[in-house]
Amino acid sequence: MSIIEFKNVTKRFGSVTILDGVDLAVEPGEKIVLIGPSGSGKSTLLRCINGLEKIQGGDLIVDGRSITEGGSNIRLIRQEAGMVFQQFNLFPQMTALENVAFGPRRVRGSSLAEARDQANELLARVGLAERASHYPSELSGGQQQRVAIARALAVRPKVMLFDEPTSALDPELRHEVLQVMQSLAEEGMTMIVVTHEIGFARQVGTRLIFMENGHISVDGNPQEMLANTDNPRLRDFLRHVVP
Amino acid sequence: MQFDWSVILEALPQLLKGAQLTLTIAVIGLGIGFLIGCVAGLMRAYGNSIISLVAFAYIELIRGTPIIVQVMFIYFALPLVADIRIDPVTAAITSITINSGAYTAEIVRGALLSIHPGLREAGLSLGLPAWKVLTYVTGPLAFRRMIPALGNQFIISLKDTSVFIVIGVGELTRQGQEVMATNFRAVEIWSAVAILYFIMTTVLASVLRGIEKRMRIL
Ligand SMILES: Nc1ncnc2c1ncn2[C@@H]1O[C@H](COP(=O)(O)OP(=O)(O)OP(=O)(O)O)[C@@H](O)[C@H]1O
Ligand SMILES: [Mg+2]
Repeated sequence: MSIIEFKNVTKRFGSVTILDGVDLAVEPGEKIVLIGPSGSGKSTLLRCINGLEKIQGGDLIVDGRSITEGGSNIRLIRQEAGMVFQQFNLFPQMTALENVAFGPRRVRGSSLAEARDQANELLARVGLAERASHYPSELSGGQQQRVAIARALAVRPKVMLFDEPTSALDPELRHEVLQVMQSLAEEGMTMIVVTHEIGFARQVGTRLIFMENGHISVDGNPQEMLANTDNPRLRDFLRHVVP
Repeated sequence: MQFDWSVILEALPQLLKGAQLTLTIAVIGLGIGFLIGCVAGLMRAYGNSIISLVAFAYIELIRGTPIIVQVMFIYFALPLVADIRIDPVTAAITSITINSGAYTAEIVRGALLSIHPGLREAGLSLGLPAWKVLTYVTGPLAFRRMIPALGNQFIISLKDTSVFIVIGVGELTRQGQEVMATNFRAVEIWSAVAILYFIMTTVLASVLRGIEKRMRIL
């Protein structure tokens, strides 16, 4: 059974249609890389999955639940679909450890000791065991983003959604974040990643989706699509993002 | 003229009694006013258009009229229009409450809207209900940002209690006036009254500054 299923999903902001009848099924274990021109609706598609944006038409099923059924249902979906943002969005008043322990404490209701142990473990996993007591302002962008990944993982989601996780980072800090994402992929996590990192798409992606104007226009195997595509606009797009 | 310290010493017990009532009115009024301000500020920041409009009407009505008119209305007009009769001190506390609540609402709204929306989204994305995101994430951040403006408002409200002289509340200004009427020592008495206000506002401001320093939020 698909873990995420878009059924003819329409998303509008006012009278402007952003997602126009999107159909998409994501199977467990897939690593989908989502690319497309600015404004094509990549972020919006991702944000619909965890209900940060409401959809106006169609249906969207995540882990067997429809996001149109509001309230506590949405919260359960969000616990299964972790989100990592371009701007990290760490809680500035909390240390790295507190950021990571926050979800288990306040969402899952874990005990303090249990949440801290798990947070320490996760921070070690993203290579930041030594930085547990640092505040976000005391961390580099790459470190902040790794903490943000650990924070999302702490709620034990089944899917991870990444919205341009390395776009706000200096080039030399990107690989440390991409490495964490790659090892997460190798552990079998289902992932949807919006990114311009074509290398990541090639090495880690199991599926590449090219979006244009609120549509999925190409959907296929990353190696094949990157090697040769018969879609002229994708070819044009790739020429611009691949250095 | 001679500045006679003994006049102040003699009047001090009565002035301190007034200062105590001033402080009581201010603290209770500001305390409840803060809660009302938080509710109205939340309504303004996150409410739908109707909820927001209700809060907006309250805020504009209060900000658009002088506090002296508000207390006159509560004390003299309310008994006539609604048959609600209250004693002067209750009227004074009510005035400070609704007055400071309106100004605080704008402070709360501004602080909440100044918090990066991504932090709220990050909290929601973990699967938290909105009220928990407010309680643990955005609320504390907003509160820290409010403190300077709150301090300002608290000082204004504390001094505003002096208008309750018009309904005969025995607060500090009123006590000063009464002592003055018996001994005619204007310089000594009004100096003493001014210094007592100054001490109260300074203490209030430094308490808030202390809270601000202790909250390690950036
Ligand atoms: N809250 C909003 N209100 C109105 N319009 C919006 C809102 N959010 C996004 N849009 C519009 O929706 C369209 C798609 O936005 P989206 O952020 O999904 O694009 P994107 O593919 O992620 O682009 P980018 O690569 O620049 O991040 C854009 O035209 C944008 O202006
Ligand atoms: Mg985007």
